[in-house]
Amino acid sequence: MHMKKIRAAKLWIYLVLSLCGLISVLPMIYMISTSLKPNGALYEYPPHFFPNKNNLTIENYIYIFQQQKFYLNFINSLVVSLATIALAAVISTALAFCIARFRFPGRKMLFGLVIATMIIPGTALIVPQFELASFLHVTNKLWGLIPFYVAWVIPFSTFMIKGFIENIPRDFDEAVYIDGGNVFTVFRSIAVPLSGPAIASVSIFNFLTAWEEYPWALTVINDNVKRTLPIAISGFFGEHQFTQWGYVFAMSVASLIPVLIIFICFQKYFVRGLQTGGIKG
Amino acid sequence: MEAKSFKNRLQIFLLLLPGIFMFAVFTIYPIGKLLFMSFFQSGYGVSLKDAFAGFQNYKMVLSDQTFRVSFDNTLLYTLVTVPAQMAIGLLVAVLINELPCFQVGFRVIYYLPVITSWVIVSLVFKYIFNTEGMLNYFLSQVIHVTGGNIAWLDSRWGGLTVAMILGTWKGVGWNMVVFLAALQNVPKALYESAAIDGCGPVHKFFYITLPSIKSTTLFALVMLTIGGFNVFTSIKMITDGKPMHQTETVLTWMYYKAFNEGQFGYAAALSFIVAVVLVFLAVLQFKAMKNRDEGE
Repeated sequence: MHMKKIRAAKLWIYLVLSLCGLISVLPMIYMISTSLKPNGALYEYPPHFFPNKNNLTIENYIYIFQQQKFYLNFINSLVVSLATIALAAVISTALAFCIARFRFPGRKMLFGLVIATMIIPGTALIVPQFELASFLHVTNKLWGLIPFYVAWVIPFSTFMIKGFIENIPRDFDEAVYIDGGNVFTVFRSIAVPLSGPAIASVSIFNFLTAWEEYPWALTVINDNVKRTLPIAISGFFGEHQFTQWGYVFAMSVASLIPVLIIFICFQKYFVRGLQTGGIKG
Repeated sequence: MEAKSFKNRLQIFLLLLPGIFMFAVFTIYPIGKLLFMSFFQSGYGVSLKDAFAGFQNYKMVLSDQTFRVSFDNTLLYTLVTVPAQMAIGLLVAVLINELPCFQVGFRVIYYLPVITSWVIVSLVFKYIFNTEGMLNYFLSQVIHVTGGNIAWLDSRWGGLTVAMILGTWKGVGWNMVVFLAALQNVPKALYESAAIDGCGPVHKFFYITLPSIKSTTLFALVMLTIGGFNVFTSIKMITDGKPMHQTETVLTWMYYKAFNEGQFGYAAALSFIVAVVLVFLAVLQFKAMKNRDEGE
């Protein structure tokens, strides 16, 4: 009797989770299925969730991939995101290492500011940052996006990596110092390799942040060829909104592929990054 | 300490330098500049030449009807989406935690909306909630709960509803992962002793699970409140503030004033008010967290 009850409960759990999971993925499936319909079929009424067998088509993808612009936008996004995660990883790890290991004047204030700036939403600073970008003559330049993205992700990255470095035993540092090492050697041979998992998980989040960033790129980038994917997609939508959902969704699916690859390859780092944050809080 | 020598001090300084430089130039300076701009009547291209305006910009923001609408919208968005995604995320986490298998599979499914960019999901929702779209067809023709097509995107409450559904839908996965991590740290012994005392699942949830994950709940609350006030891309893509600025949020309205009307002083004052509100809310939440921890 008891076993039966447990089995029934398990069945209910699977049922509820599958139902909620369906709601979770349905919009994405709909996006993919729409991208596989011919553009003309998109305002058919009644609407069909899946394309008919005889009008299933990849013409939207062919159109997108034939446009040179798409490759440029894709490469722009990739360059900006990779540069952001590389710079942010180096700078944040150095900052986190110093805050975690040494006492220096202003250390508490520096860490306090790092925490405090995580509270203010990035978009709220868009006006003074725009003035700064104009002053530095980096508006409408692709590489001009990078320092701003790096600066945005530094607080969170530093916070996460600092927590991780604090858990590395100081004995490791001592051993290096006894062997005649200095601060740089400890940084290079202890802090960086041993906080690798933390650096990996913040880098994944930083990649996502830069890959999908919309308001700042929208504000400072004007030229079509310098656009990153999010503003290319929204711009494309603005130009074609009543006719070509198929193209828009084909482009969206294509831009989602790198993210999916990263997510599937580094799933455990995703979870770990969030776990550390959750426990710390 | 080993770091006393001059060489080591210099090296510490050199390691700190790039971080402090980036932080000072691209974050701290803009914050100062924001405060400064909010007291001047400045617009695009002209800044220092403009007249000192005192609290004029703040007065304008606070007496502006559209700002009130946008503030109410943002508050409503936060008050609805934050508890909704936390509750659903926690429920899903508790259920997944009970499963002997397929845990990873469900995690991936629920996390997919989180990693998909706001631009893309906003467009998908705009398409689904289109007046001639799939949802209206489903509601009126398949399950017959509505008489005709609802013009979701043409009214204040319709547009906000779509944005709130999107915000909740996209946020559940993040909450699920955060709560799942917390649940897996709850000592199993607590549940076992509760089972011996004859506690049912509902009792276990309220007397063991909820108190054990308190700090995670508050962490999520702080992060999501910030996220709620930060809502921008979804509104911009789905309604763009239409109709008549009735669906603006504080940041989309700030953006409109700054980049469509060139009123940088007004936008700066608005941003500063939002930042102050958020710092106030965060301090309040941290205080609550601290008091509770000390009460244990």
